[in-house]
This record gives sequence, structure tokens and C-alpha cells, in this order.
Amino acid sequence: MNAQPLKAEIAADHHPLAGQPMTGAEVIVQVLADEGVSVMFGYSGGAILPVYDALFRYNAEHPGEGGVEPMPLIVPANEQGAGFMAAGYARASGKVGVAVVTSGPGATNMVTPVRDSMADSVPLVVICGQVARASIGSDAFQEAPISNIMGACAKHVFLVTDPGRLEVTLRTAFEIARSGRPGPVVIDVPKDVQNAALNFRGEGRLPIPGYRARLQTVQSAHVSDAECATFFAALEQSKRPLIYAGGGLIASGASAALRAFVDDFGLPVTTTLMGLGAFDTTDSLALHMLGMHGTAYANYAVDDCDFMLTLGARFDDRVAGVPDKFAPTAKFIAQIDIDPAEIGKVKPVHWHHNGDLRLTLDRLRQYGTRHGFRPRQDGRYATWHAQIAELKRAHAMNYDRDSAMIQPYAVIEAINRITQGRAVISTGVGQHQMWAAQYFDFREPRHWLSSGSMGTMGFGLPAAIGAQFARPDAVVIDIDGDSSIRMNIGELETVTTYGLPVKVVVLNNVGDGMVRQWQKLFFKGRFASSDKSLHRKDFIKAAQADGFEWAKRLENKDELSKTIIDFLAFDGPAFLEVMIDPDAGVYPMVGPGASYAQMITGDCIASRQQVAESEAARDDMF
Amino acid sequence: MRHTLSILLQNEAGALVRVAGLFAARSHNIDSLTVAATNDPAISQLTLVVHGDEDTLEQILRQTRKLIDVLDVITLSLVGDTVA
Repeated sequence: MNAQPLKAEIAADHHPLAGQPMTGAEVIVQVLADEGVSVMFGYSGGAILPVYDALFRYNAEHPGEGGVEPMPLIVPANEQGAGFMAAGYARASGKVGVAVVTSGPGATNMVTPVRDSMADSVPLVVICGQVARASIGSDAFQEAPISNIMGACAKHVFLVTDPGRLEVTLRTAFEIARSGRPGPVVIDVPKDVQNAALNFRGEGRLPIPGYRARLQTVQSAHVSDAECATFFAALEQSKRPLIYAGGGLIASGASAALRAFVDDFGLPVTTTLMGLGAFDTTDSLALHMLGMHGTAYANYAVDDCDFMLTLGARFDDRVAGVPDKFAPTAKFIAQIDIDPAEIGKVKPVHWHHNGDLRLTLDRLRQYGTRHGFRPRQDGRYATWHAQIAELKRAHAMNYDRDSAMIQPYAVIEAINRITQGRAVISTGVGQHQMWAAQYFDFREPRHWLSSGSMGTMGFGLPAAIGAQFARPDAVVIDIDGDSSIRMNIGELETVTTYGLPVKVVVLNNVGDGMVRQWQKLFFKGRFASSDKSLHRKDFIKAAQADGFEWAKRLENKDELSKTIIDFLAFDGPAFLEVMIDPDAGVYPMVGPGASYAQMITGDCIASRQQVAESEAARDDMF
Repeated sequence: MRHTLSILLQNEAGALVRVAGLFAARSHNIDSLTVAATNDPAISQLTLVVHGDEDTLEQILRQTRKLIDVLDVITLSLVGDTVA
């Protein structure tokens, strides 16, 4: 989208508009332009009208080539949609996503995307209108205590009470959102501050000396020779080393550094859900995803490894449900993370570095190479590599390929055969999310957009819209479930309104599939509220009503391949509902409170040991 | 074990709520809390007394240091109820 050069660089010298009189709203829009914002997402309302008006005028006065708006504002059906569009944009591009909403309900509808982005470390700047300063605390119309509410959810929240600090606050918000461990920053701007008469300065930030000092310490943290020596002494002893990489690897842009590290040293890689794409999943040393629904071979490799290098990952309960039994034979666990609070938070580690992943990986690689560590040449991991290859062969992902019903895995495989791991995939939350994570290839970072930590149903469709704005030429596919898509189905209309070629797949199993899977396992099959066979929704009519010219329901297995080809080939928005086997499960599964050794692999994936399915899981585990 | 924490905080709107909210959200009871002005009007000093073992304390200290307006966090006492 009309990406503009980062004008902040010009501002560092002397901003051409410095000294110009502007309203608060005009200042907001100018700082957004200076920060390189090329699209934003939001819904209007009383307390944000001055900003919307200033943006309207800015776009009219600064037309790009062909008259396109330099900062189009994309309007969702609901503010939550705007938040997830901004998050999808940020996840797909690595840039800060921007959402602008009104006070009260507009702002509270943003709470879920803000918390979701905090939990997955996604950089957002959210500007909320607020009632005028004199009305704050009076229970005014559309008033909500946003700085209190968001303060508990966001990386930081500003309530701008001094108009003179509006400009520097905005600039600081972008700095906080994108620096260190990224996250969402909320700015609550009272309406009278938006209307205030100000002089634009074109420079300056708020003093946040504590944050900046800590950030500087982490970013300049150097791994000493002695620390490198300890690391390599342990790696020299290892016969079965493994890399466990998380979303931090993608956030820090360290994929190439990891690639170089693995090329030189030959450590196999498994990633978390958030780390998918950090390392090409089709590589012979890639083990795809680990954890509760990780591949059996990745989880067995975790059980077998004697050395674990943890990169931008946090031993979350979906990975290390029982921390004591995670990587039980690892004699040495190393952890690199930019966030000091994640080091040893869940599981004690033997070696750690609190710093930038890319710099640290490069430093370790150079140290190892210089000190003659050449495992590729001396073949010390040959046995381990053979064992990895055998694990991948013997415990490969599989399903009932002869079933008369359409299996969800087959749908993902059919799409993947065409997209070859190059499409941008977003998802809702539940079974379809796990099937997509398991059966798609991910060749590059920022191609997998999924609500990992928060697990927010309804994420997929708005995230796909945001991603399509970030990557206008990419194939963007929302793999959704019938329940997840219902949560934000209003955004189907947003797809067609803006003419986006987003592809939407609904894997319809007539209910909340993942909930039913847990009810089968732990509640004797009592499907409390998770069966939707009496629901009357006709998804095809819904998509057609919202302007989808290509909207089809696939019910016959024989038509799967041809339908997928037609669907992806359609030049424009397309909607495909697939009636899948409602009993299809997500396997493997490491139950809540279970160790990897107790993993259930289902009927079609070979297990290393016999495990009884039971209601054994502690009922307080989630 | 009881710990006394001293937190230097930028005097911003909502800063006190963010510290108190962090402790509440991570299941730490605050036994007592005092806020005092410092020589610099832009900086406040919080003194908190909390319970917890060493690991729990270390984790909440690290989380507190992630708050943007926190300038510094130090523990004043670590041993039992006596100030070390």
C-alpha cells in the first residue's frame, strides 16, 4: 500500500512543518504520516471525529499516484475487527499496525485485539478518542476508563491530559511499540485535546529514561568469550542437540541468522506455533511444530535430545505442560531472549543470554567457527540426523485417507500443493487452526498469522484483511472454522467493500470441534453447548449477501481437488465452505497436565508407546 | 518471606495503578504500600511490602522492571521480618 519513505529521518534534522499551527487532531495525523503509516483501521464516533476529519483532509490534500490516498482508513464492521486487521497487518509486515477508534464502546471493543497482541508480542499503536478532559470521571456519554482497562492489557497506555505533550507522546508510542519485545501501545486522547490549538514541532519524544536504559542494556548485551566457551563446551559434549524456536525469532528478524547457524552447525529445529516459518519447515532438519498438538516426531525429538537451545520461546503451557518433564534428558538447556522476565520463568536453564537474537546467534556462530567447531565436517551428529530422519519417517503426520467423508487434513494438503508454503495463512482458533499449523508448509517468516497465546476465535478473517493490505500481491488465505468465523463474520463485507482478493475457507464440522474433542476425552462425550447441528446458518448465502461472487459449498470428496484449484484461481474474493468429517480430531495430542511420553497419536500416526486414553487429566488443568 | 521493595516511578497518569495492577494480575498480595514525593517532582517513590519466596520475588521484580514508567526497583530486605 503506497508505502511512504520514513519521514522521521527528515524530522531528525528539521521538519519542514516545524512551527506550523495545527490542531491536536492534525498533529496526530502528521505524526502518523511521519512514522511511515500507510494504512490504518478504525471506526468513527463522536469522541474521535476531529481526528477522522483531519485524516480526511490530509488524504485529500496529499493524493498519491493516480489520486490514491496516502493513508487510507479501512472501516470494519466492529472495532474488534479493526484491531485484528491492524494486528494482521503488523504480523504480516513486521511494521506497527495502527487502529483509531472512538471512546467508550469503540475503545472497549479494542480490548481483545490489544490483549491478543500483547500476548503474542505484536506491535500496535491504538488511538482512542476520549471524552473532553472536563468530563472525565463524570460518567459522560460513551465514557470508559480506558487507561485503567488497557493498562492491564497493553505494553503501555498514555492518557494525554496535556495538549502540549500530544505530539511527543505519539512519537514515543511508536518507539515503545516496536522496540525491545514488541507490543501494543494505547493512546487515549480527550476530544478537547484533539481540538486544541498547537504548534507542530516535528521532533521530540517523552523522557522514559528507565525503559530506554533497560532497552539499551539488553540491545548492547554482548556474549563474552567465557560465555561462548561455556556454551560450546556443552554443545561439544552433546550427541543430540535440538533448537526450540519461538515467535521471538520472527519478531527479531533472526530467521536468516538461524538459517546460517543451522547450516554451519547442523542442529535440528522445532518451532512453536508462533515460530512457524522462522525456519523452512520443508528442510530435512526441520521438525515442524512441537507441543500439545505438535508433530509426534518433534515431540519425540524433544524427549530424546540431550542439549536444547531455546530461541525467543517461553516454555508456555501448550509446549511444556509439565515443565519438569519437558526435555527430560537434556543435560544442558540454553535460552536466548530479549525479555529478562522470560529467562528461567517456567523452567530453570543452564545458560542464558538476555539480548537480541539475531546478534547473539551471529556471535555464537562466529565464535564456534573460529574455535574449530565444525560438526558438519566431522560428522559428529550423523547418528542423530539419521535418528531425526527415522523419527520423521516412522511417526509422520497421517490421517484416514480412505474415509468417505472429507477429511480436514486433505483440504489443507490440497491447498498446500498449490501454494507450496508461500501463501499467507491466517486462522481462527480451534481444531482448524491446529490442522493448518500441522499440514501447511511454511517456507518463510510472517506467513503464519494465528492467535497463539490468547487463542482468540474470530481472529482469522480480520487478520487476513489486514495482511492483504500489508502484502497486496500475496495469496492470503483465512483458514477458519464454522464457529470461529461466526465471531467476526461481519468482516466478510469488509473484504468485498475494499475489493480484496482474500480467500476464505470454512472447515465446517457443525460446532466447536476442539471443545467437543476435550468433551470426548474428559467429559464422557457430553457435548455441552458445542454441537451446532440445529443452527440455521447458510454460510454460502451469507457470503453471497456480502458480495462474494465466488461462494461454494464442498460436500463431495471427489470434487475436492478441482474445487480447491478453482477457488484459488479465482481473481477476487472467494469463499469456500467445506463440510468435513465432524468427528475428525487433532492428533497428536499431549493432554493437559501430561508429558510428551503420554502423547496420544490417534489411529493413523505411529506411537512409540502404548498410551491409554482416559479421563486421567487433572480437572483443574486447562 | 516478607520483602520490602522500593520502586522509583515517573509521576505519570495511571502509573501507580499500573504497578498495583501488575501485582494483582500476577497474584501478589501487597501487604502495605506507601507513595512519597521525591526531590524531583517528576518522580515518585513507592515502598511496597509483599510476601513470597525468592523465585516469586525475582519474577515480580523482573515484571515490574518491564513497566515503562518504572525507573528503578530495589529490594530493601530479604531476610525474614528483619531489615537486612
